[in-house]
Parts: sequence; structure tokens; C-alpha cells
Amino acid sequence: MYKLLLCTTYLRTRYLAFVCIVSVMLGVCTLIVVNSVMSGFSNKLKDRLHGILADVLIETERADGFDETPAEMEAVIRASKAGPHVEAVSPTVEVFALLQFHVMDRSGKRVPITKHVRLIGVDPAKHSKVGRFKEYLVRQHADPAPSFDLTPEAKQRFERNRQFSEWDQPPKPNKVAQAPGPRSVELFKEPIIPAGLEIPVAIPPPVLPQGPPPPLPGAILGYSIAHYRYKDPETGESKEVEILRPGDDILLATVGADGASVKYKTFAVTDYFKSEMSEYDGGFVYVSLDELQQMRGMDGRVNCLQLKLKGDVANDNQYVHETLIPEVQGKFDPTSARVASWQQHQGPLLAAIDIERGILNLLLFMIVGVAGFSVLAIFTMIVSEKFRDIGVLKSLGASDRGILSIFVTYGFLLGLVGCILGTGAGLLITEYINEIEAFLARITGQQIFDRSVYYFDKIPTNVDPMSILFINAGAVLTCVLFSVLPALRAARLHPVRALRFE
Amino acid sequence: MLVAKNLTKHYRRHADVVKVLQGLTLTVESGEFLSIVGASGSGKSTLLHLMGTLDAPDSGQILLDGRRIDNMRGKQRDLLRNKTFGFIFQFYHLLPELSTLDNVLMPAFIQQSVWGWWQTRREWRRRAEELLTRVGLGHRMKHKPRELSGGEMQRAAVARALLNRPRVLFADEPTGNLDVDTGADIVRLLRDLNEDSGVTIVMVTHNLEIAALTDRVVRMAGGRVVEECFSEV
Repeated sequence: MYKLLLCTTYLRTRYLAFVCIVSVMLGVCTLIVVNSVMSGFSNKLKDRLHGILADVLIETERADGFDETPAEMEAVIRASKAGPHVEAVSPTVEVFALLQFHVMDRSGKRVPITKHVRLIGVDPAKHSKVGRFKEYLVRQHADPAPSFDLTPEAKQRFERNRQFSEWDQPPKPNKVAQAPGPRSVELFKEPIIPAGLEIPVAIPPPVLPQGPPPPLPGAILGYSIAHYRYKDPETGESKEVEILRPGDDILLATVGADGASVKYKTFAVTDYFKSEMSEYDGGFVYVSLDELQQMRGMDGRVNCLQLKLKGDVANDNQYVHETLIPEVQGKFDPTSARVASWQQHQGPLLAAIDIERGILNLLLFMIVGVAGFSVLAIFTMIVSEKFRDIGVLKSLGASDRGILSIFVTYGFLLGLVGCILGTGAGLLITEYINEIEAFLARITGQQIFDRSVYYFDKIPTNVDPMSILFINAGAVLTCVLFSVLPALRAARLHPVRALRFE
Repeated sequence: MLVAKNLTKHYRRHADVVKVLQGLTLTVESGEFLSIVGASGSGKSTLLHLMGTLDAPDSGQILLDGRRIDNMRGKQRDLLRNKTFGFIFQFYHLLPELSTLDNVLMPAFIQQSVWGWWQTRREWRRRAEELLTRVGLGHRMKHKPRELSGGEMQRAAVARALLNRPRVLFADEPTGNLDVDTGADIVRLLRDLNEDSGVTIVMVTHNLEIAALTDRVVRMAGGRVVEECFSEV
């Protein structure tokens, strides 16, 4: 009973110990906030990566694609042991391409802009079932059946662009249909045609009504390709300029299925793709699978098959990597068809995120380590102050172990109070981190979270209860460990020497 | 009852050896109020500490009712200090963060577990309050030690020492830090307790007037008992 009484009494009355509490609180708070923010970023990144890619991808690097048709490949997969776990399949063609479009410079002159992009041919309905393709479309995310069709407004814009481009062209000479005159044949001296018979004049070609040309096939551009973000030098705000709108035409050039010839075609922008991943939003262009196959001369073949797995299996990483993927790989020639999960596809990036987070946690835990040293220093002082009290307690029958447990429990309570306060502060800061960021930006005039760098409108956070538990357990354990040494010193004090201590 | 046989004790500081007790033998009878006097450095407090098991002799024995207590360790020794012995020190040694009542209750806090205290707390509080009233501090129970005078703090220390109804009370210069009148009050209090409850008291003092109030006075010199006399009180 005396141990509990003295611990709680010291906790209430030893103001110096508040230094320990504050140290622990700061360490725990910092760890929670940083972990939550990094976890938020990491989860959002993984979420985006997974949303863009299906669960399993079968790819080939052959320019002409797989030997088998998509339907044949799907039939093989569904007939295998992996078949029951496959929810949806989307065949795609993915190639490197050059994108060219025109923009108006300040003098009003049209200048070409060329970018290298990843050109992906998809069936929108099938592709929406294997990932979040539909959700990332800016205009069609709510449509039940997204497509590459132009909206009426886009068609109008396309038509207007076409007219403007015609007005820009130099005038062409009018070609008047010349009716052919009577033919003279000088092959034979004697006329073949008897005299007096008139050769009729050739019928001129019919003049067809002048209508608009057929609409161009549609293309969905990565958001960053069609938009340009910059910081206003006067206001410092991030601003966005639209450089390609639905209805504008673009030229896409890529390598044909033979691997040698260059194929190009003009498309019209129909929509934007916004995944908030700058790598994809700045480099992906989606077109209709049929159009790309035709353009490249692929005869209905594809070079990528994306599989979505059923919910319970998709979350079982071990099963997917150790059983399902080898099963599917076994059905295809590994030299031409590579089967990989989305994690394996993005392996280096995901590994980098996890390593960075681990190192950051280790470094930040040093803050808690510093708190531990403050516990050691302050407890050493407290034990020195309490020498006589310890002597009295021993003379009244307190055991060495009891004296030890007073100070170890005191360290535990300090750590516990620091953790509770730190966790509360950390969760509060995490909850209102965007408001705090805005406030600090206002005060300092500096953008802490530059939205022109990240495509997130808000700082993403994710509070993981297990992380909080580990942080708190680590902090309390640190305090207890650092209190052991002074506690041992107190326990080993000779009662007579302690009573005589000046 | 309490017998110290041929005790020796020395302290060493680097190469210097200070022989404090050199073959001291002393018997304390049950219910006796004994005072030990002597010059500074004669080993009075050392003897008290040895008899109270706060320190261990280099050689010799200390017997309580024929049982050796000088070589006790751990739980046995702690139990002896808590239940059989009581201590009063020159500088009171009250815990500054606790109230007077809680200071007096400290031996019970040490003896009881949390659950045991919860079950017996009313009885212990009643006993502590009675003791404080007995020593004239019934109106000062909630006060902290810094709010008490020297005499009041020493009275509180006396009450604390008596909480567990000890068989032997060791008082090390209990009046050393008090004025003459207050000191006399304290000794009278101890006298009354000795007569009323029969507790054996061993008191160390350098004040012969105070010592004269006890049953027997033992004088120490050179680490030994050199003289003893019985008081006429």
C-alpha cells in the first residue's frame, strides 16, 4: 500500500517530474502525428497504385502481343485452379507512344507540343471491373458505362477547331471539273469511229453535299497532360490552366505490331484521367482497345491481361504470391508471358515507402530515448533528495524490493501520464492537421504542404490503432527501463547512511 | 529480553579504521526505560542501530528473547523492524509530502497490501487518531510536517513509532533538536508510555538531566559500557 501511496504522492507533488512527462508527451505526440501522416500518404499511394493496376497482371514484351487471343487466355485461366478466384478480366494493349498537340502561344501562333506517353488501349466496361478506372475519370466517374464517345459540347468544340484550322490554311485553288473534250486518237491513220458519229462528253462526277467529316476516335488523357499547374508569382497561390479540352485533337504515334513501322492517328480528347499520382496523370493516355489494335495491326491480340481477384483471396498476399501466381504462370510460356501481382509490379516503389517509414520511425523514437535519459537524470536527483526518507522507510520495515518498486512504478506512472497526454495531443493534431497547416502557412507566409507538388487537396492521414499501441508501449517501457538504475541505487541504500545523509 | 553480547563494530574510510564498539555487552530488561549516555563518538548511536537491526555488527551477537537477530536478513528483518521495534530519530524524519496522520500510519501502509489496507483501514485510522490525541496532536492530523513545530513533529514521530504496538522503542537523541522544555515534555511522554503500556525503551542521549528521568543509565566510553546506574525516579 505504501508503494502506491508514495508513487501517486510523488506524481502529484514532484514538479520536476513534469519535465519527464513533457518529454514523453512530445515524443509520443510527434511519433503519432508523423506515423499517421506517413501512413496516410503510404496508404493513399498504395491505394492509387492498386486502383490503377488490377490484382494480377499478365504481360508480354512482344510488339505483336500474345499468340493467344484474350478470350483463349481467359478460358485457360478460368479452367485452371486459379479460375474460381478470378472475378473479372480486362485485356489491354500498352505501348510507348508520342503525343503531339498544338497550343496557342502569346503571339497567337499555334505551336506543337510533343510528349512521350504510355498509350493504353482498353475496353472501358471491362477495365472498370478490374480497377478504379471509372472512378478516376473526371467527367464519367458517375456514368454506369464510360466510353470514348464525345459529348455534344466536345463535338461542337471539335467542329469549331476544325473550322479554325481550315481558316488558318492558305486558300486552295478551286478545282473546276473539266469536262473532257472529244478524244482524238492518233494511233491509226484512219479514224476508228465512223465519220458523223459524235462521241458523247464524259459525265462529270456528281457534286456531293459538303458535310462534316466523321468524328475522330476518342482519347482519355492523364489530367496533368491536359492541365498545367503553376504558382502565381504575385499571390503565391497554386493555379491551373487547361491546355487541352474535350473536343481538341491530338496526334498519337507509336510502333506497329511488326516492331518496325511507325503508326499514327489523330484522336479527339473526350475526358481526363485523374488518379492523383503524378506519374500516371502526366503520362497515361487511354484509347479504345479496338482502335489501338487496328492502328497497330494487331489482329485482335493484346499484350497485357489484367485480372481482378475475389475479395477474400485478393487480401491474402501469401496465397496470391505463393499459389495463385505460380498456378497462372504455369499455364503460359514464361519467356513470353510474365505473371506478377500489382505489388511485384510496383515493388521498388512500395519497398522504398516502407523503408523510409521504418527509418523515420527509428529516428523519431530517439525523441523518446531522450525522454528516457531525462527520466534517468531526474530520478537520480529525486533519489538523492529522498535518501533520508528511504532510510526512514527501511527503519519502519520497508523491504529493498519495495523501495525499488516505488521508483520503478513512479517511472511507469510518469511514462503512462506522458503517453496519455501525448496520444491525446497527437490525435488532436492529426485530426486538425489541415487547419493547423493553413494557420501556420498564414502566420509564416510559407506553404508547408505545397499542393502544386502533391495532387492531394488535403494532407492524408491514417490513424492505425496498433501503431499507437506500439508507440505507447515503447515509451512506457523506455521510462521504466531508465528508472531501474536510480531505483536500484535507492533499494541498496544502507538505512543508517541514508538517515545520516546531509 | 534484549541482549547485546561482545559487540564490535568499526568503520573504514580509505586507510583509516575507526573502532566504534570494542566488545560491548549490554542487557535490556523487558519494560525497562534505559538511557545510554556518553561523549560524542562513544558509539551510542551505533549501538542503537545494531540493536535495532539497522546495521550489522562485525562480531558478537544480539539476542531478542534468546533468538539471534543480528544476522537476520530480508523479510524476517523487515518484519522485526515493522512490528517489534519502533524508532524515534533526532531529526524526526517525517515524510514531507504526507499529512501527520499518514505519517503515523506509515508502518501500517508498509505492513498491509492494498486489499488488506482497504479491509482494515478504519481500525488503523482509529488507532492512529488515538495515538495522535494521546500525544497532543489531535487537532493537527491533516497538517503537513512543515506546518508543525519541532516538538510537534517529534510527538508525531513518537505516535508513528507506537502504531504497531512495538515491544521495544529505540530513541536516538529524541530531544537533541529541541529546546529544554520541549525536550523534557517528550521524555515525560515516553515515560508515561513506558509506565502505561510497558513498552521497553532504549534512549540514546547526551543530556544527563534527561537521562535522569529514565530507569537506568548506562555510560559508554571507548566503545564499551563503563558505568551504569539506576535512577531514583
